[in-house]
Amino acid sequence: MITNVKIKRTVVCLLCISILLLSLCLLVSPKKDFSENENRYLAKFPSFSAKALLDGEYTDSLGDWLADHFPQRDFFVGLKSGTEIAGGRREINHVYIAKDDYFIESYANPQNTERITDTLIRFYDKIDKTRVDVNLMLVPTAVTIYSDKLPDHAPASNQQETASAIYNESGIPAIDCTDWLLSGASKGQLYYRTDHHWTTLGAYYGYLAYCDTKGLTPVSLESLTAQTVTDEFAGTLYSKVNDYSHIKDNITIYTNPEDDLTVTYADTGEVTDSLYNLDYLKEKDKYSLFLNNIHPLIEIENKAAASQDTLMLVKDSYANSMVPFLVHHYRKIYVFDTRYYRDGPSSFLSDHNDITDVLLLYNMNTLDTDTGIRGIY
Amino acid sequence: MVFSCIPFLFFFLPLCLILYYAVPFSWKNGILLIFSLIFYAWGEPLYILLMLFSTALDYTNGRLMERFGTTKCRRIFFLCCSICINLSILAFFKYADFAIASVNGLFGTQFAQPGMHLPVGISFYTFQTMSYIIDLYRREVKAEHSYIAYLTYVSMFPQLVAGPIVRFADIQEQLHGRRITFDGFEQGLLRFMMGLFKKVLIANQAGALWEEIRVLGAANTSVSTAWLGALCFTLQLYFDFSAYSDMAIGMGQMLGFHYNENFNYPLTAVSVTDFWRRWHISLSTWFRDYVYIPLGGNRRGIPRHLFNIAVVWFLTGLWHGASWNFILWGVYYGILLMLEKYLWGKALAKLPKWIQHTYAFLIVVFGFVIFAVTDIGELGNYIRLLFSFISNPLADARFLWYLGNYGIVIIIACILACPVYPWLCRKVSMLSRKKNCVISAFAGVGVLLLFLLSTAYMVSDTYNPFLYFRF
Repeated sequence: MITNVKIKRTVVCLLCISILLLSLCLLVSPKKDFSENENRYLAKFPSFSAKALLDGEYTDSLGDWLADHFPQRDFFVGLKSGTEIAGGRREINHVYIAKDDYFIESYANPQNTERITDTLIRFYDKIDKTRVDVNLMLVPTAVTIYSDKLPDHAPASNQQETASAIYNESGIPAIDCTDWLLSGASKGQLYYRTDHHWTTLGAYYGYLAYCDTKGLTPVSLESLTAQTVTDEFAGTLYSKVNDYSHIKDNITIYTNPEDDLTVTYADTGEVTDSLYNLDYLKEKDKYSLFLNNIHPLIEIENKAAASQDTLMLVKDSYANSMVPFLVHHYRKIYVFDTRYYRDGPSSFLSDHNDITDVLLLYNMNTLDTDTGIRGIY
Repeated sequence: MVFSCIPFLFFFLPLCLILYYAVPFSWKNGILLIFSLIFYAWGEPLYILLMLFSTALDYTNGRLMERFGTTKCRRIFFLCCSICINLSILAFFKYADFAIASVNGLFGTQFAQPGMHLPVGISFYTFQTMSYIIDLYRREVKAEHSYIAYLTYVSMFPQLVAGPIVRFADIQEQLHGRRITFDGFEQGLLRFMMGLFKKVLIANQAGALWEEIRVLGAANTSVSTAWLGALCFTLQLYFDFSAYSDMAIGMGQMLGFHYNENFNYPLTAVSVTDFWRRWHISLSTWFRDYVYIPLGGNRRGIPRHLFNIAVVWFLTGLWHGASWNFILWGVYYGILLMLEKYLWGKALAKLPKWIQHTYAFLIVVFGFVIFAVTDIGELGNYIRLLFSFISNPLADARFLWYLGNYGIVIIIACILACPVYPWLCRKVSMLSRKKNCVISAFAGVGVLLLFLLSTAYMVSDTYNPFLYFRF
């Protein structure tokens, strides 16, 4: 006969068995170095030293290691996020759980606006403006363009005010693509659902804004070859939220059959004829397929370009998906990632007289959180 | 090591229990002692020496008092020796920085601060050892002859770092003979799990929201948001602290020890006096028995009574941390208690119950704001936000945003802060046996699911603070 006592005993036994089984699995199960889902390296087993032990550092790291290599970690991490979302949470790890299945990174109060403006002023001051045409393009993120998709009552972001302040203070002629992106918002997906980047279509609207300011005739999307290379893209926001039941993204890339490209990666010396490295489709971070992930300096030559001009593009990863459109207009583009290019593009500019145009392109989130832009001067 | 972490729950505790149950009784104290020392050393490898010194001192003093304490005079000598050294250690490690900083601030002097970091649990174990020596002086307890047993008592990991403060008199017999049963293990494990759920699933969540609200800044904090923050901190502290006590009591049961309850639904108190009978009971009874009553309590006239209350509540405040806000918090309660004793206590008791509950609850929530913010300037700003009905909106979108995100946790916390669980148990026990079993089965499944969920929260560990590092 079932009695209360028996039920209690069963529950207690099950609890003990689960605890012992989990700890046993934790000890004997094979360990991973990298978590694909969370997109980060897991803690390494701490190396023992008397000093670390006395500091309490050793025991701390041991705790981290146990948590990182816990059996079925993905299940547990997903269980937590799933429960939180079911309980009404609409922000996890600074990512909004927005409408239409979008994850949208929140915009934290900017901390570095003054420093960034100072750097920009110093960079701009040194340039001979009669020789080169400089533009600054600060791309709003989904939190601004898709503000209608944000969860109800989500705190308003002041991304636009920060951008205007930087445009005004730095004095660099602005290319504000906000209205272009807003106008395109109804025509297709401009940002990935699971990643903090804009889609290639979003980048195309950015490109239209660029052409509009520069007086260039943009290439029409119809004249390009579109190719959906994956429908399995789970980006950085997916890894921050860790809700593994969430839908994944497509990535579409565009190629212009008319282009005749030579792409040189200065750091590795590698030379190719494509702006994409589709090997990254096999990996977690598929956005890296644009311009082969991160390189301090890339030289792109287009023998079929519409002009003989040379562009110096100083940028973060947002630009990687816009470059395929820009190549049509420039015989040569120097692409700098200032997070990794240490010598300062400023001196590069004075050494290279062939440069006719400079574009500084950053998205509003990494502009403040990533100190990369300070490397421009 | 905190109880709500993977190393503790999945390795330390199972290993300790398995060995503890496996060895014969005469070894059990030894096993417990070894594990307690490992537990302490896990977070405080060096200060373990301090704890060993402190216990050795009181043990020796106890033996000496027993052997040579034939006259009252000698007994006082040993008592003073022990108390002076214990309080000096506490003063040096806990209060030296604060005292020197205060003196420097007052007189513009430049004395250097020793900058010691506070040994975890020092306030708890110092009070435990002092209870032993004082009780011994009063002949309320026999001197302990086994150093192992005494050290086991002081260092016992369930209550070492966050209480309850166990008095030696309550536990001496159990140290030498206790019944360890499977029933006790069952009860204890379930009690421990309750504590774990409270800490991981409620306290940490409420705490995360409080941390977010306290740094919002005046422009983004509506009056409702400020009160929501205060409520969240109240819930965090209550659920965190009582969870530690639950886990301690539960582990005690598993080991065969009986600890007294430390919390009795304090947030449902009907007055400030009532609140302090329900909150951190082991601390308030300690101060009552070792400070308030020896000073004369309420039996030496009104001025002396007021003085005694002032002393006890100043010390209670100071015990919680070496910072002015804790003293302010103690004084706040001291004054309220005096007012209740001599002004409105009797009138209050005649009012409808809901008014009494609201009165006490608001005082407690406001009090915890003083407790939460250690910087006096920041504290002033936060209190201003609570009452800025004119300059700030009453509620704003952000308040609704927080309600949407954390509403469920807050509602569950508020329900569990009331004695619904004992009430439900009573109701269920009145049902027929069959219904009773069905409900138990559901409850059992619930416990297992909550265990899985707590594990998930510990594995993806984002926010798991230890709040008592100042105590």
